[in-house]
Amino acid sequence: MTDDELDEEMLRDLQRRTAELPREIAPPESAWQRIADQIASEPRIEKPHRVFWQRPTFLAAAALLLVAASSITTAFIVRERLSDDLTRSAVLRTPSSSSPATLAEFTARENDYIATVNALSAVIEGGQVELAPGTVEKLRESIRIIDAAIIEARRALAADPSNKALMELLSTSYGQKVDLLRRTAAMGES
Amino acid sequence: MSLRGLVILLSMLLSSSTFAQTKVNRGLQLDATGAVRVYNLVGSVRIVGWNRDSVAVRGTLSKGSTLHMGGRGPGMKMFIEGIDERNPAAADIEVMVPARAKVWVKTATASIDVSGVSGSLDLYVVGGNIRVKGNPADVNAEAIDGSITITGSPTWVRAKSASGNVILEGSSPDVTVSTVSGKIDVNGTKFEKAKFESVTGSIRFAGSFERGGLVNFDTHSGSIEIGMPAGSPADFDIVSIAGSIANKLTSSRPLPGRYGRGAELMASSANGGTRIVVRSFKGPVTLLRKD
Repeated sequence: MTDDELDEEMLRDLQRRTAELPREIAPPESAWQRIADQIASEPRIEKPHRVFWQRPTFLAAAALLLVAASSITTAFIVRERLSDDLTRSAVLRTPSSSSPATLAEFTARENDYIATVNALSAVIEGGQVELAPGTVEKLRESIRIIDAAIIEARRALAADPSNKALMELLSTSYGQKVDLLRRTAAMGES
Repeated sequence: MSLRGLVILLSMLLSSSTFAQTKVNRGLQLDATGAVRVYNLVGSVRIVGWNRDSVAVRGTLSKGSTLHMGGRGPGMKMFIEGIDERNPAAADIEVMVPARAKVWVKTATASIDVSGVSGSLDLYVVGGNIRVKGNPADVNAEAIDGSITITGSPTWVRAKSASGNVILEGSSPDVTVSTVSGKIDVNGTKFEKAKFESVTGSIRFAGSFERGGLVNFDTHSGSIEIGMPAGSPADFDIVSIAGSIANKLTSSRPLPGRYGRGAELMASSANGGTRIVVRSFKGPVTLLRKD
């Protein structure tokens, strides 16, 4: 019988009967026993003996200590660098100025830019750099202009991810933002 | 008020202002290529190069302010200390330095004027204006919202402002000029390695480049105008993502950009030789012939 020959009455009957079928079927009682016997007959795999430093609790504690020590060290290094020489610190962490070749390369650089921007912004907003209120307002206005440009170009790059010109323009805008923040932070140095 | 009354009032004001100021006139020995650091927040700083191995400072300080200066031989520095650090008083100083000295000046709103120095210049202002005249070895000028004007032929130039304008008149083999919303206006020759970038500020270039050079123009939404004499060697690589390109320099026509917006132009003039890369997001780009 082909689909063309399928009787509508038969089809409705088939649908009614399949709808009445149970959604789950329990396995037969004997199946459980056979599974249990099979497991019991297999050779037992011995749990390896762990020395104390391989235990999960020790590893978790060690990981926490490592994270804490790393954070403290980073905080000291960052604070020292920023207070000693803001300019040098920012320049060291500023991504390469050459044009990114791929979106992946650009994205990696973008992350570096964002990390540098965050570090410099924290220094300026944290009061480590003394600036007149008027200067801060002018700085914010310039940052707003750069951010608006970044957002607009980023949206365009999302629509055209292989556009190298957009990546170059975005790199320039990020570079300008980092440079402006670095200069502002350095203005507080004498 | 009668004219006589006005004259008396002006005399009184001038007289009280004179009494509220302190004149300074001091000097120190400095090597011909020594380093000078000047720190003055408000007022003005004028640096003049001269052919002597010494530094001379003269000017006027507000009442209660003090000029501190020290060092000799390879380096010296000076700064103005006021009574109220939060509200610094103005000081106007003129500093004569050896022509080949390395000069560093930092101010807040004080303007900086430099002339006759052939050594290196590091100049920083927040809101004041920077003016450089002459042929220093290199110029690094940075401002937040102040303007920067450089007239001359430094070997190396870095001029950056956020909302202030940057004007460069002269020539230099190595230049980077950057602003956010400020205008960039460049008029000169012999640019070899150059970068002009803004976010919303317009960029106007009139002049020529050295053959074999590399020049970049970047903007988000500012207009870019490049004017060159006929016969200038150039290979243009221009992309405007959403803006227009007008070519009045060569016969090449811009092509529509991807997705039906913006424009692109690859063109050469005088058999090429200098690579000129222009990137604009939505600012219009114009190539002009300027003889």
